[in-house]
Order: sequence, then C-alpha cells, then structure tokens
Amino acid sequence: MLVYLARRVLFGAAVLLGTSLITFSIAFLIPADPAVAMAGAKADPRTLAMIRHQLGLDQPVYVQYAHYLDRAVHGDLGRSYIRRESVTHLIVSRFPATAILALCAMAVALVLGIAMGLVAAAWRGRALDNALLVASLAMASMPIFWLGTMLLIAVAAMSRTFPLGGYSGFESLILPTVTLALGAAGYYSRVLHTNLSQALDQDYIRTARGKGLSNARVMMKHAMANAMLPLVTLAGLDLASMLSGVVLTETVFDWPGIGRLAFEAVFNLDIPLIMGTVLFAAFLIVVANLLVDLLYLWLDPRIRLEEMG
Amino acid sequence: MKRRAGTMELVGGAMVASLVVVAILAPWLAPHNPIRAVAPTFGNPAPPSWAFPMGTDELGRDVLSRVIYGARISLTVGVAAMAITMTIGVAIGLAAGFFGGKVDFVLMRFTDVMLTLPGLLLAMAFVSVLRPSLLSILLVIGIVSWTGIARVVRAEALSMAQRDFVLGARALGASPARLIVRHVLPNVMPIIIVMAALGTSGTLLLDASLSFLGLGVPPPTPSWGRMIEGATMYFRVAPWLATFPGLAIFYAVLAFNLLGYGVLRRRSA
Amino acid sequence: MTCARPKLARQSAALLATSMLAAVAIAFAVSGCSRGRDGLDLPKGASVLHLADADDVPTLDPAAGYDTLSWTFEQEIFDTLVRYGDADIELHPDIALSWESSPDATVFTFHLRRDARFSNGRPVVADDFRYEIERVLNPATRSKGIEYFRSIAGAADYIAGRTRHVGGIVIPDTYTIVFHLAAPDPLFAHKLAMPFAAAVPREVVKRWGSDFSRHVVGSGPFMLKQWLGGERIVLVKNPYYFIKGVPRVDAVVDQIGVSQELGWLKFEAGQIDILGGIPPAEFPYVMKTPRLRRLTLRQTTVSTMYLGMNCQMAPFDDVRVRRALNYAIDKEKLIAILNGRGVVAHGVLPPNLPGYDPNLRGYAYDPARARRLLEEAKIGPDFHPTLWLRADPTTVILAESIQQDLELVGIHLDLKPVAWGPLLEAIRQPRNVELFLSGWEADFPDPENFLGVLLSREQWGGNNDSFYSNPRVDELLAEAAPMTDLKRRYELYDEAEKIVVADAPWVFLFHPVSYVIRQPWVHGLVLNPMRPMRFERIWLSPHRE
Repeated sequence: MLVYLARRVLFGAAVLLGTSLITFSIAFLIPADPAVAMAGAKADPRTLAMIRHQLGLDQPVYVQYAHYLDRAVHGDLGRSYIRRESVTHLIVSRFPATAILALCAMAVALVLGIAMGLVAAAWRGRALDNALLVASLAMASMPIFWLGTMLLIAVAAMSRTFPLGGYSGFESLILPTVTLALGAAGYYSRVLHTNLSQALDQDYIRTARGKGLSNARVMMKHAMANAMLPLVTLAGLDLASMLSGVVLTETVFDWPGIGRLAFEAVFNLDIPLIMGTVLFAAFLIVVANLLVDLLYLWLDPRIRLEEMG
Repeated sequence: MKRRAGTMELVGGAMVASLVVVAILAPWLAPHNPIRAVAPTFGNPAPPSWAFPMGTDELGRDVLSRVIYGARISLTVGVAAMAITMTIGVAIGLAAGFFGGKVDFVLMRFTDVMLTLPGLLLAMAFVSVLRPSLLSILLVIGIVSWTGIARVVRAEALSMAQRDFVLGARALGASPARLIVRHVLPNVMPIIIVMAALGTSGTLLLDASLSFLGLGVPPPTPSWGRMIEGATMYFRVAPWLATFPGLAIFYAVLAFNLLGYGVLRRRSA
Repeated sequence: MTCARPKLARQSAALLATSMLAAVAIAFAVSGCSRGRDGLDLPKGASVLHLADADDVPTLDPAAGYDTLSWTFEQEIFDTLVRYGDADIELHPDIALSWESSPDATVFTFHLRRDARFSNGRPVVADDFRYEIERVLNPATRSKGIEYFRSIAGAADYIAGRTRHVGGIVIPDTYTIVFHLAAPDPLFAHKLAMPFAAAVPREVVKRWGSDFSRHVVGSGPFMLKQWLGGERIVLVKNPYYFIKGVPRVDAVVDQIGVSQELGWLKFEAGQIDILGGIPPAEFPYVMKTPRLRRLTLRQTTVSTMYLGMNCQMAPFDDVRVRRALNYAIDKEKLIAILNGRGVVAHGVLPPNLPGYDPNLRGYAYDPARARRLLEEAKIGPDFHPTLWLRADPTTVILAESIQQDLELVGIHLDLKPVAWGPLLEAIRQPRNVELFLSGWEADFPDPENFLGVLLSREQWGGNNDSFYSNPRVDELLAEAAPMTDLKRRYELYDEAEKIVVADAPWVFLFHPVSYVIRQPWVHGLVLNPMRPMRFERIWLSPHRE
C-alpha cells in the first residue's frame, strides 16, 4: 500500500518536472524581449539592459532553468511583469472565486448528468433514450463562450437588475455555473449511459433480475455501482482542470478567477504569469490524479488487492 | 437499434456534407463581399432585414456573408488540425502498442505528461507566444489534442499485436514497419475514423475558443469565434451579431459529434 | 464480489452528496459574505461615492504605477510638490507653496507648506520627496519613471551605485528642496507633478518593501481603507489632509470586475454615481436621449492616434506613398465607428496642448488622389504590406476599417494583432515593421513631448518608431528644447510640425475624446484633459442609495 502510494507520488513529481520543462520552454519560444514588456513604452535602452540583467536573462539557459525550478519548488513563481506582484500571490488570491464556481458547476453537472444518464438507461433503446442522447450531444457541442453570451442576452432582455457579470453574491454565480455545467453534464450522461448499458448486459445483473428483483432496484444497487467508478475518475480530473481556471466562462462573465487571470496574462504576454498559471494547473491535475487513485483504492477492493499482491 | 443508430450518423454525415458544400461554394452563396462595407452602419450595427437577413456589423459588413465564408476557415482549421492530431496520435499509439515494453513505457509516460497539461490554457500560452497565424494555430491545436487518440490506438494495437496472424507473420520474419502497415493499421482503421470525426468536433471547438479569445487567424478572414468576440461588446443592442456565428459553430460541432457517435454506437452495438 | 458492489454504490452516493453539500454551503457563504462585507463600518448616513471598473488597479505604489487606473487612485492618496488644476494643465501649488527656477532652467527651488501630514499623522518634509525620487532612480525598484529624473545632476552616479544620495538634490532645511539639473530643462517642474515624484513615508515603505502597494500611506485627501484584489477598493477621508473640508465625500468605493456593459446597467439602476466608460454600443442611445445626454461630460484628450510608417523601408521611404496613405484612409469613418468619440487629427499635436496650431489642415480623405500618388510611385497591384497593432477588440475593428479603405486604392493590407510588449519590441527594431498603429498621450503639456520624443533622430530605436529623420526638424527641435521664452518656443515647434506633416511619417488619425456620465446628484465633477478625474471636490446631494 505504502509502496503503491510512494510510486504514485513519485510519478506525480516526475510529471510535474516534465511540465515545468514545457512551461519553461514558453519563455524561450517567445520572440519578444520581456524587459520591454516590463519597462513600458517610454523606457530607454539603458533601463532595458538593467532589467535584463536583474531578471537573469543574460545567463545561460540551463542556469535560468535551475533557478526557475528551485524557486518554483519553494512556491515562488516569479513576479508578474505587468502587475509587479508575486505570481503565487496573484494565483492564491484568485483561487477562491474559481473554486466556488468550479465546485458549484461540478455539483450541477453531476446531478444533471447522472439524472439524464439514469433515465436514458432505464428507457434503453426507446425514443426517450435517443432524444436524451441527441440532447446530451447538443449540450456538449455548444461552445461555452457562445452559450454564456446567449444567456447574457436572454437575461439582459428579461431583467435589468440581475447581475450579468462580476462577483457579487449568490445571484451572480448562477449564470456562470449553468454555462459551465451544461457541457459537462452532457458528457457525464453519455459516459454513465454507456457504462450502465454494459453493466446491465452482464451476467450477474441478469441473475439478479432472474431472482425477481425490480428493475429500479437492479439499476440502483448493482448496475450503478459499476457505472459510477469511471465517472468518479472523470469528475475528479474535470474538477481539477476547472479549478485550474475556466478561461472562457470567466472571460464571458468577468469572473475574477484564475481563468481570467490567465487570459489577462496571455493578452499582455505576461510570461511569468502565463508560466505560473499553466504550472499551477498541472499541479492541481497531478494532485487530483493522486486523490482519484486513493479514492479508487478505497472504493474498489480489487485494485487494492492487485496492487498489493 | 441498428437502424436508429444509422439515422444518427446519416444526419451527422449530411450536416457535415452541407458544411463542406457551403465552404466550397461560399463565393456563389454569399450575397455580399464578406470583408467590405455594404451598408454605412459604422459603429451602429443594423438588425436583420430582407436585404441583410442576419443584419450588418459595426463595420457595415453583411453578417450572413461572413457566416458563410466563416465555414471555410473553420473547416480548414478543424480538419487540418485533426489531421495533425491524428498523425501524431496514431504514430505514438501504434508504436507504443505494437512494440510494447520500454518504448510503450516511455511514450505513455510522455502522453501522461501531455495529458496533465490543460489543453486550452496551454494552447493559449503557445499561440500567444508564437503569435497567431494559420500555421501556429494548426500546430498548437495538433500538439495539445493528440493524447486521447494515442491512448485509444495504443489499446487497439496492443490487442492486435497479440493476435495469431500478427504473431505468425512476426515469426516468419516480417519487418515491424511492414507488420504495422499491412496488418495492424488496417485493423485499427475503423476506430481511427471514428476518432477522427470526434476529434474534428474537438479541434473545431478549440479553434473557435482561441478565436474568441483573440488568438485566432488574423482579420480580415471571417472566423466565427472572432465574430462572437467582437459581438460581446454589442450583446445588448445587437444580439444578432453573436447569435448567428454561434449557431454556425454549434451546427458544425454537432455535425461531427453525431457522425462520430453514430458510427461508434453501431460498432459497439 | 457482489457484496462489495452495494457498498460501493453507497460510498459513491455519499461522496457525491458531500461534495454537493460543500458546494452549496460555499455558495451561501459567498452570498452571505458579500452582503456582510458591505458593512465597512462607515458611519450611518456617510456620503459614499460609488464607482466601477472592469480591471483591478495594477498598483498603488507611486514609483510603479504608470497607467490611468493606478494614477486615478495614486493622485488621491499621494501629494506631489506641484500639481495640475482640476480642469486645466497648468501647474498649481500642492505641497510646495511656491517655487522658482533659474533663468536658464537648471536650478529649481521649492518651498514646502508646513501643515501637510501623512495619514499616519507624521508631517511631510522635503526628505520624503528626495526619498521617493531616489527610490524611482534606484535600479532595483524597476520604476518606469526613471527616465524623467535622469537629468538631475548626479543621477548617473547614484544609479550606478557610486553615491548614497543624488548629488543634485539639495535639502537646505526641512521644508525646502532644490534640484540642480545637468542640462537646462524648462519642463522639469512638470515632471515633479507626476505621481512618480509624490511624497512617501520612508518608514512605511521600509516596513512593507515590495508589498508597499497594498499598504500605501500618503498625504493626499484620501487614504486606502480596503483593497480586495479583483473585487473592490475603498478610500476614506485622510483626517490630516491639509485643506479643511476636503474631501467632500466620506468615502469612495470602486467595485472591480464590472465590465463596461454591466457598469452601464448598474449606472442606470442608480448603483454607480460616475461611469467612465459608456459602452460603445450604448453611446448613440445616450446621445439621443436628452435626459442622459445632459449628464455627460466631454473632454478631448491630449493624445494622438496614428498609423506609423517606417520611413527606412521601401516603398514607405517614398514620401508619395506615405502621403497616399494619408489621403486613402477615411478618418471620419474611424470616428463614426467610435460613435463620434474622436476628433480628426490634422497633424501631430492634439488640441488642448499649448502650442497647438489650429490652422494646420493636414490631409483630407481623397482616394482618387491617393491612387494617383501610388501610380506615380509605381506601386503595383499586388502590394501586401503588414500592419502591426495591439490585439484589443477596438483597435482591431479600427484596423479592419483601415484595411477596407486601403483595399479601395489597391493596397492589400495584412493585419498582425499582437500583445502590447511584443508590439513595442517589434516596432523598435530598425527595418522590421513597415506599418503600425500606435498612439501617444502627453506626459507634459508641451510640444516637445510629442515632436521631440516621437520624431527626432536621437529617438531612433526609442520612441521614433517610424524611423523618421529630417535634419531641419532636428535643428528646430534642438533649438526649441531649452527655450524658456514660450512664444518663441511654440513658433519653433510649429515650424517643425509643418515639415513633419508635409513629410508624412505617420497617417495622422484622430485625437480620442472621452465621455463620462454622472448621476444628477453628483456635483463638482470636472474632467482634466491629461490626468484622470479627481474625487476630492465632488459632493453628493441627497439621493436614494
């Protein structure tokens, strides 16, 4: 068990190392000079040279990477060129807004997706099933930023007081949550449907039915158990990527989270902030991967045995 | 059940075909030049009318013509990026699945790293750093989207590599390249085709998202995502500016999804 | 095996339920918090000015800020030696009661008032100004203001770390400060009106270091009460401010993260008192509605938007091609796209700038003439120059309009929208960017700030990004720069501007006009052509909040 855990943590660390190489390469692909972005329109060449020296841009690449890695391990992701604040601080201060949005959206997406998937599976092969399948595909095919804009248009036409953006209490949370949840719900309902269908065709379910258990009981007790597992993985990873910034939704609704921060960083080509947000996202996903692994261990005794054996 | 699944892919296929036709025939279908001002509605977009069924934008251009021409760039980027995605994904998946062992281990860990990076965020970062152009967008979309395909293809190739006819051919001294091309590839082809259809819906969405964030193909090329970006400023006074290009993206993505899932469902049924 | 299954289902359900409960709990916590946080413990009936902005304030540290939003708040929290009037761009006393300069503009002496205090109660002394200017000059601060104080004698030694203080800044007594310059600079007092030269309390800066921005203390009419990143910023009265009865409101609350569109809705609902950015789309409606139109204030900014042409790159080294572009671009159309929020530019200098020549005619929209000039210059039908610009939506729309216009005279323009940093970087390289969209906003009310900074030979690789050079212009600029006789000074600049307009290194596009709308209960609001609006003299008549 401990060995297994240690292996997973080690693997996560290796993945982060790989990621740090990729994010670091961003700074080297850039044809522009970060010193200019930092010093602004009116700086003269002397100031630029000075800033380059201070940023260590005149040192060899591998030295810069080593410094970068060393600081990142200690939680220092550098300073934003534009805002001049610590990137770590910016990310931490924006995280709560994103976390609230992501958690609410995930809850809504799971409830809606599971409900749709269950209903579709219960009416397997009938018109309702097909209708729900097409509906779920439609939900997943909608561009998030367009859905958000359409919601804004509809709500603006209906009410003059409902918050159309920004971060001001419960009401302002509704539109971004719906926008973010709909596509994910469509996806989850299809995944659940597929898994339920497979489970329902398996022998032990048929046996259970043969024993005279009601359809609903079979579905809830036996088939769901099998079908939920992959959904837990998916939702765990999705939650991590949502937590790392829902760029489009936050941009449409002026939500002051990490996604909007990343968008601003890209817009201003604020390299430390771009690198920081990408690395932070990867970090969250690695952690989520670990948690999902642990959850699996807890939920599915088979894996526990295999891994320990 | 088989017949109904067929309906889905038929509808999807027809929708894809209609898109291709619109894209090819754009110069004949579009009533106006998509990049010229055709009405003096500068700074004051005009609502849909008989002359301009989807209205005009803040630069006096006909929205309908722009939506029609938009099909060209969206399909081009969607399909070309999918081709890049498939090339990378299939090559890595085949190699990992067929050779197994260390090759598999290294390639799959690399895939894991790539999978850990959030696609849109990474695409944004790279496109902004490389500066938006058709080529940079294609490459970046291709580079961030291949992982799923590589995993599916690897799984299929893994099972193929253990089949008797492949093992037999191997024992007879057939070269790996020949084995892959002659035996493994044809057998994983159906799943590749399904993944290609589904992959295109993904690349279309990613391209539209990048355009919406101002990281798309530069103007004047009409692009649906960028039309929506410009329209957000006018969402209260000119909602038609965002509505129509969005419907177009929705239609295109849904078309490829229907096609892909239709085929997938029939295969698994 | 089957026995494990039901347990699993239960666990999954429990997991799901817990996560949802958590989410709902958090959601309610947020809504509760935001309601609770409105209680800023301001006294009941306090008069509060409500504002809204889309983006967070980049910084409040006067050594760092160099943008409109930062300056809006910095100029309320800090004081400088001299400042501009609320609505004019002439120098008035701030902390300095009086000042004088030597006839050759190399020595500037300021006499400070004795009743100014920081919001922590400590009196403001001359050393607080020297400390801030040295902080700006210190390379470790990475201040964007460093260029403005290099001309002080001894600055170079200080920057290089050879001296502890800048030799040219002398403090003969606690309330007097003298600046000795290395070269004559009639504009030096204007540089001291920038927030870069504000008085800051050394002990507070030392305490917070690079986090000073979040804990600023100054001597201005307001002081910082609260700054929730991405959410809001709250200023309250500085009890020690040296003018009694100012500020007239008790607090300023700026809500952050409010897009222009949302801000407009909030304004209409009476939740915002002053709205700076009327959304372009709503602007025609505001102008058509007398009730709203009466509430607007209009101000032509001291800035110029232009399309720069690289005079060292063919075919833009040919003056005929540059003039052709000036005739080919419809500036009225650009202003129509901006819903009238601009004034056509006829030359380099904006109206409102001292030395502006209202008789300059520039280039009218004349595509036929443009085509003739292009023919003379033998520009073929497949000419595809690239225009670089900043990738923000409004700039892109303007560029697309220019693209349409040039198409009509046979120039097929490619657009290259990029982020701001790379744009600056690219246009500064010689022979790199042939066309670019840019703009310049005055730092000081003087023609030198446009003509000298943007069009002199010595600014190649600096701010002269069209790589324009005309020896006669350089002569005139060199002669005018140290000139203290204003009439003669403006004549020289006028002559230089006329040559520049004839040489056409830019397409002179327009001068942006800003509009602000206020509620009927807001009084005493005026706009400054060059600086953000000030809040301290605004007062509110009774209204429903």
